[in-house]
Amino acid sequence: MKTDRPIAGGFVNDSFEIGHKLRDRVIFPVARKVEKQTLVIVGGGIAGLSAAWRLQKRGFRDFVLLEMNQQPGGNSRWGENEITPYPWAAHYVPVPGPEAVYVRELFEDLGVLKDGVWDDRFLCFTPQERLFLYGRWQDGIEPAIGLTDNDRDQFRRLEDEIRKFRASGGFTIPMERGLSPALAHLDQIPFSEWLRSQRMDSRILNWYMNYCCRDDYGALASETSAWAGIHYFASREPEEKGPLTWPEGNGWLVKRLLERVGSFVRSGEPVHHITQKGNRCRIFAGDTEYHAEFVIFAAPTFLAPYLIEGFAPIRDFEYSPWLTANLTLERLPNNYGPDLTWDNVVVNSPTLGYVDAMHQSIRSHVERTVWTFYWALAEGQPAVNRQLLLEKDWSYWKEAILRDLERVHPDIRQCVSRIDVMRFGHAMARPKPGAIFDEQRRKLATLDGQLLFANSDLSGLSIFEEAQYRGVRAAEKVLRHLGAKNT
Amino acid sequence: MGILLFITVLLIAACGLIYELIAGTLASYLLGDSVLQFSTIIGCYLFAMGIGSALSRYIHRGLAYRFVWIELMLGVVGGFSSALLFLAFAYTQGFQLLMYALVVVIGVLVGLEIPILMRIVKERYQFRDVVAHVLTFDYLGALAASLLFPILLVPRLGLVRSALLFGVVNVAVALWSTFLFAKQLPSIRGLRALCVVVLCFLALGLVQAKRITAAAEENIYADEIIFARDTRYQHIVLTRFKDDIRLFLNSHLQFSSRDEYRYHEALIHPGLSAVPAPRRVLVLGGGDGLAVREILKYPQLESITLVDLDPEMTHLFSTHPMLTGLNQKSFLSSKVHIINADAFPWVDSNTDSFDFIVIDFPDPTNYSLGKLYTTAFYKAVARHLSTQGLMVVQSTSPMFARDSYWCIVETLKQSALKTYPYHVYVPSFGEWGFVIASRHEYTPPTLLPAGLRFVSVDGIPSMFQFPPDMSPMPMPPNRLNDQVLVRAYDQDWKDISH
Repeated sequence: MKTDRPIAGGFVNDSFEIGHKLRDRVIFPVARKVEKQTLVIVGGGIAGLSAAWRLQKRGFRDFVLLEMNQQPGGNSRWGENEITPYPWAAHYVPVPGPEAVYVRELFEDLGVLKDGVWDDRFLCFTPQERLFLYGRWQDGIEPAIGLTDNDRDQFRRLEDEIRKFRASGGFTIPMERGLSPALAHLDQIPFSEWLRSQRMDSRILNWYMNYCCRDDYGALASETSAWAGIHYFASREPEEKGPLTWPEGNGWLVKRLLERVGSFVRSGEPVHHITQKGNRCRIFAGDTEYHAEFVIFAAPTFLAPYLIEGFAPIRDFEYSPWLTANLTLERLPNNYGPDLTWDNVVVNSPTLGYVDAMHQSIRSHVERTVWTFYWALAEGQPAVNRQLLLEKDWSYWKEAILRDLERVHPDIRQCVSRIDVMRFGHAMARPKPGAIFDEQRRKLATLDGQLLFANSDLSGLSIFEEAQYRGVRAAEKVLRHLGAKNT
Repeated sequence: MGILLFITVLLIAACGLIYELIAGTLASYLLGDSVLQFSTIIGCYLFAMGIGSALSRYIHRGLAYRFVWIELMLGVVGGFSSALLFLAFAYTQGFQLLMYALVVVIGVLVGLEIPILMRIVKERYQFRDVVAHVLTFDYLGALAASLLFPILLVPRLGLVRSALLFGVVNVAVALWSTFLFAKQLPSIRGLRALCVVVLCFLALGLVQAKRITAAAEENIYADEIIFARDTRYQHIVLTRFKDDIRLFLNSHLQFSSRDEYRYHEALIHPGLSAVPAPRRVLVLGGGDGLAVREILKYPQLESITLVDLDPEMTHLFSTHPMLTGLNQKSFLSSKVHIINADAFPWVDSNTDSFDFIVIDFPDPTNYSLGKLYTTAFYKAVARHLSTQGLMVVQSTSPMFARDSYWCIVETLKQSALKTYPYHVYVPSFGEWGFVIASRHEYTPPTLLPAGLRFVSVDGIPSMFQFPPDMSPMPMPPNRLNDQVLVRAYDQDWKDISH
């Protein structure tokens, strides 16, 4: 009888404390010094870092970036142990199409795209994805085995519809490029309702649609705008077999960005108050009061009413709570198979499965590895699930994760030596029906002036490309204002 | 009593035939040439039975007593015949001598059985009934044995346990006879005790048979396994059949010592002999040291670096006398530097340059191995080529895995290399393919090391000719993010094995 390993671990990178202080309007210490900057960027996730990247590339250096957490990167943060670096959240970028010019520019800067050719060290290795169903693994996540003629017909019809939507040009990345009022009606209904209206009632197809919505938006198809559900499929037509990925996920991009703009970044500096009077913004963080002409607010937009003096309350911004875990495996499960697969999904599991951090290793032989386990708490009310995240201890989540994995890897407890868990109360903007064309969101997204918003939640789609696009756009607006002023 | 008596006849007849069949089967498995083995064994056996029958006339008294003894002796000799023969094959040179001796002894004893039995019962029946009944049950026993043997015994029990089982039957007959012929027997208790002791002995043999079977009989269906080990990285098995040593890694044949010279001469010499003044050679894979043996035929070389994942593999081929005999102690040469590392990361991080690079990995049976056949890997390897350098890649069979072979060629082409595909015939593998790749033009060599058994200057150009059934196939390159090779390889071998 083989015994289970003792499993170490705990919660990591919690940021509830500072968030709740802001929410509860706790009195922060008074500033003891004043610092002048032309621009302050609030938030060091992809949006903020991308704004910094653009400014630095344009030779503009009179700015700082203030990040609440000790580690910048936001949803692209990563961790590292003696085996491999691993992601804490976002772990890939689909190969960008021609419209995503800023993403392509970044990848050219980083050497990922050279003379129109993608470096295949960064394209996801074969085998990419697999799905566990009917007691076996199949290649790819879209269910392909055990389908009835009816299932097959519905998948085919869905594909046809998606092709039409793609051809319409209304679903693009960045989403603003193609956003068309002609398709606004799709934003008014849940994705599940649209599927019903198309007579797509196949259970396995609906499982897959729900999986996709949970994976990209942390929500069920019934809580997702049909526009967003369709966007997931219709916005991409990759020119190369991808996606782009790294052992530490999008943390690799953060590392490369920090190599370029790290000197502007001040981490562990939570901003707790922002005022705007005349043409001066005052930003309070720690014991410093920054005086700046411009603020790029790249933090999640729901924080704005708590931070910015006189900011109207925000309606209709919903966020999905998530949980991720990194599991250290001393060996692979006995039934694993000869090859590491990147993304491993189990049908009918409430979780999203796991991603193998050693998958992008060029080694032929791997013994120890790290799995990143993804779990969007999509069922039920987000507020209730956030409470659950706060209340339950580490052992609860550890057991829940192991039980989920035991269904496919019975000896998982003999393999895992450590489980670190990260809780995200507001992991990503949830594009619920009406969110994409929401007036307030559109207004904040297109706002121009001294105070600019840049978080990806203004797109309603929490993806790397949107965050980067909004960060770059905000930087360009600042540069334009400054250019106008100087001429 | 009548029917019991005739069942005895049936049983002893079956036992006799089983021993004969076991001897024939064993000899066929171990020595080959089953027609010769079965003919000579049946001949010897029948002849020995004749001797037994002839000898029976010299037995005058104590017929029942002697019958019991004959059964006991048959039980022991026949029962252990198979185990003895296996051990003799494994540990002595006298297998055939022992085999024919056993066949003769068993034949003589079986030859004695029926005449004596007929004489024991002649008082109870008329002569014509005795002959008719005894011979009928004798032949019925033979039929039963000949059907049981291939259908049940060999597949279920194996040869060692089948023999022991029928040894038990013989001794059981002996024990039974002490009841059947109780009136004609002196010292019945002593005989019965002896029967029980021999039965226990055989039963012990049956229990222990698994060990003999494990050591020898399983392997008799293939070749004798002389080494088996699970290392951290792979399952290594070495087999020997007469003078043929074979290496299997994860149950894939890597070489047969009878013809590996063809493979390794073809892998090395067409390329290495074409490099002007080579000094440094790199071997990736090749943990058996056979490629290095060929490389050492170039005295002008200064160093040979071998990168193989598995230290147990290179250690085995550095120390095992039978294996260092094969690779001529190539790993012990002072020019050879063995590095136990994963090839791709090593190639990526090392900066040395080499005049000749040998890539000799197992076939791309899975995606982990498939990484070592990608454009990314070949580009990384090509950075190590000196200006005049060449590389050669073992590329599976252009005959059995035609798509895979041409996929590897295409992958090398897409790695900005000129390719020169060639193939040779290796009997244990069939048609086998290689590719020479380099940044410059390759011209076949005009001079080769002395003493080659297969590759010759005149023969080389024909290796580069591909007949229509192996000619190029349009294939996409194998890339890290789209490993078409592993899928093609899987399909290729499925196609020929179904």
